[in-house]
Amino acid sequence: MGRYLARRLGQALVALFGVMTLIFFVQRLTGDPTYLLVPETATQADIEAMRASLGLDRPLLVQYGAFLADMARLDFGRSYIQNVPVIDIIASRLPYTLQLAGGALLVAFFIGVPLGVWMAVRRGHAEAKGFMGLVLAAQSMPTFWSGILMIMVFAVWNQWLPPSGAGGWKNLIMPSVALGLLSMATFARVARTSVLDELSKDYVRSARARGVTTGRLVRRHLLRNASIPVISIAAMEVSQLLAGAVIVETVFAWPGLGLLTVQSIVSRDFLVVQGVVLLGAFVTILLNFAADLLYSLVDPRIRLGGTS
Amino acid sequence: MKRLRSFAPPVLASTALALCLAFTPAGSAAAKDLLTIDLVNEPSSLDPQGQWNPDSYYVYRNIFDNLVTRDNEGTIVPEVAASWQRLSETEMEFTLRDDITFHDGTPLTAEDVVFTVERITDPAFGSPQLGQFNKIVKAEATGEYTVVLTTDGPYPVLLPQLVKLSIIPKHVVEEVGDDAFNLAPVGSGPYRFEGWDRGVQVTVTRNDDYWGTKGEFPTVTFRAVPDAATRLANLQAGAADLVVTLDSDQAMQLENSATAKPLIVQTERVGYFALNSTKPPLDDVRMRRAIAEAIDKEGIAEGILAGGERVVGEMVSPAHFGWVDGVDPFPYDPEAAEALIAEIGEPAKTPMELATSPVFDQRVVQAIQQMLTDVGLNVEIRMTDMATWLKDQQVEDAAAPMLTFSRWSCACQDADGIMFPLLHSSSGWSRWSSPEVDAALEEGRSVLDEDARLAAYSKVHDIVKEEVPIIPLYQAAIIYGGNAKLEWQPTANESMFLNRMSWAE
Repeated sequence: MGRYLARRLGQALVALFGVMTLIFFVQRLTGDPTYLLVPETATQADIEAMRASLGLDRPLLVQYGAFLADMARLDFGRSYIQNVPVIDIIASRLPYTLQLAGGALLVAFFIGVPLGVWMAVRRGHAEAKGFMGLVLAAQSMPTFWSGILMIMVFAVWNQWLPPSGAGGWKNLIMPSVALGLLSMATFARVARTSVLDELSKDYVRSARARGVTTGRLVRRHLLRNASIPVISIAAMEVSQLLAGAVIVETVFAWPGLGLLTVQSIVSRDFLVVQGVVLLGAFVTILLNFAADLLYSLVDPRIRLGGTS
Repeated sequence: MKRLRSFAPPVLASTALALCLAFTPAGSAAAKDLLTIDLVNEPSSLDPQGQWNPDSYYVYRNIFDNLVTRDNEGTIVPEVAASWQRLSETEMEFTLRDDITFHDGTPLTAEDVVFTVERITDPAFGSPQLGQFNKIVKAEATGEYTVVLTTDGPYPVLLPQLVKLSIIPKHVVEEVGDDAFNLAPVGSGPYRFEGWDRGVQVTVTRNDDYWGTKGEFPTVTFRAVPDAATRLANLQAGAADLVVTLDSDQAMQLENSATAKPLIVQTERVGYFALNSTKPPLDDVRMRRAIAEAIDKEGIAEGILAGGERVVGEMVSPAHFGWVDGVDPFPYDPEAAEALIAEIGEPAKTPMELATSPVFDQRVVQAIQQMLTDVGLNVEIRMTDMATWLKDQQVEDAAAPMLTFSRWSCACQDADGIMFPLLHSSSGWSRWSSPEVDAALEEGRSVLDEDARLAAYSKVHDIVKEEVPIIPLYQAAIIYGGNAKLEWQPTANESMFLNRMSWAE
């Protein structure tokens, strides 16, 4: 177990270093932020002065060296645009992203998984087919449309919920549902396929032969066996929820990291983008690691370390 | 079809209202406690010298006073400076009001103005606005409330530039440093900085000790709402009282609303079509004229944008000094364009790239491409992101794009800010090189006599009509959405002064 952990940790560090290098060079390939910072009337000399004040006039490798040195000290630098430490900007946005991801995961998991199981058990029945259609429809609706539709219905026509922004728990409902709907469909489909797969196995037939009721069969036997694909999907979905909330955050003016990322990419705020990407890479690596550990808890046949 | 409300009567109404307000004792019967304004993004910085974008100055121009300001009609009027006079061609003396105090109670003096100028013109500070103020070579306090600014030559655009100079307190910045000042700005304006919930909103509260017209709303929040449809929904739901940047379709929805209304103003942004006249086939004046006549300016302004844009025939708008009445726009005459193209023959078919970025209205870009294709030209749209687009524009002539659609604002309402960069041979943006134009633009930039300046710009307008180095298209409009009870006259310089707003119960 210890050796396994050490190896995975080593892999994680290599992956992080790779992401760091990639994001540094890819961003600089996309162009120069200086032009976005100065007014149109700025002369070439003004532009040069701005570039020098940002340190962007140095050779690329020198900048890269300085960047690695900063990273080693966990110094993420200062935003070009806002002129405050990147770490402060991310820290102020992270709680909103976590709230939204949490809300969306609640919606997705606690509706999606039972729905998937139910659809598997009721396979072939008209109502299950109907629901499958609804689930697919929910997944296919573009958020910029369904989000605005929700705002119109629940905030403008009926003033039940605040239309946008962050504030109380009521503000969280619509964005969570909008974001959760996408993942809900994924959870429902994976749970359904996985349960169907289990349903065709011998132990299910013997259990049924022994007279075990469907409810008990699902609760006691199926769920645990069918949960491995759901766990892998959950790890992927959580990293997606953290990174992929861009449109939902834009529509609902939710001040999370997704919105910050888009704004920073558009304004070429390199250091903020770097910070967010590194955070995303770290979370993804961590979650995959956690999923691996969970597998072994759910299924003792999966031995960590690969030796038998 | 005239469905946009005229904006002259509200000017008078709000001026009258502002006058009434000036004589209303502070704190009497506040009609509305909290005004909520939805911007596109949060400010990048509230240090008035640390950034350059509307979302920032919409907010901080309420926290700080400017050296001078523009009234709703666009005339430059006193603010911190009560009066000014020229001492010589390069020196101007400003007499400051002696009754202004910063929000911490310290009086605003000449030292603060000098400090402000020195900080923003210090290249090491790296202000994005450096280029707007670096003609000022010296700022000197000649008394407790008198300042003399010296420019590097006669500079007629000094006052229009100073409209944007927000005065910061020397003692606070020196004491707490740039970073802390950025986080908790202290100004002397009609509103105090209250708090900044990053990514969410900035809150300001009324300065009850303000020397000038006090605000009507005790508290105002500026929120970041990036999606225009959401801003509109917020306005309709009553969650926002004023929202920025709507399009003409959204304005039309508001026309029929009982609770909200569109607020439209023609800005000092000028839409234009730039031609790289250094490269064939655009080095042929017939080709340039053909393009100018092939573009349906009215169609773009009224059919596509339909938000109050006004077609212009010169590279400035009526909101600028340098506007000359009676310069007609290029006619829309596709037949004449086709005839010119037939005259040029095969070279006219040379493929030309039309450089654009998502920032610009793609409906206009595609319409222009279509209009040019219709008369037989070969135009391809090349889309890049904004930073790349900006970089591609500011290169030597040979590397610059053949065709460009863009809008230009100098935020100074003076012809110098648009015409010099776009037409003077020394500018990175310009694709025109003519001693005659250069001389006129230099005269416009360095002669103090207004009539002489106007004559110089008038001459350039004529050359533009004759030689077609660039094609002026329209004066851009901007659409805000406001609660039906909000009384406010938006201005051409896109400021949002809270103490010029009121609430009609």
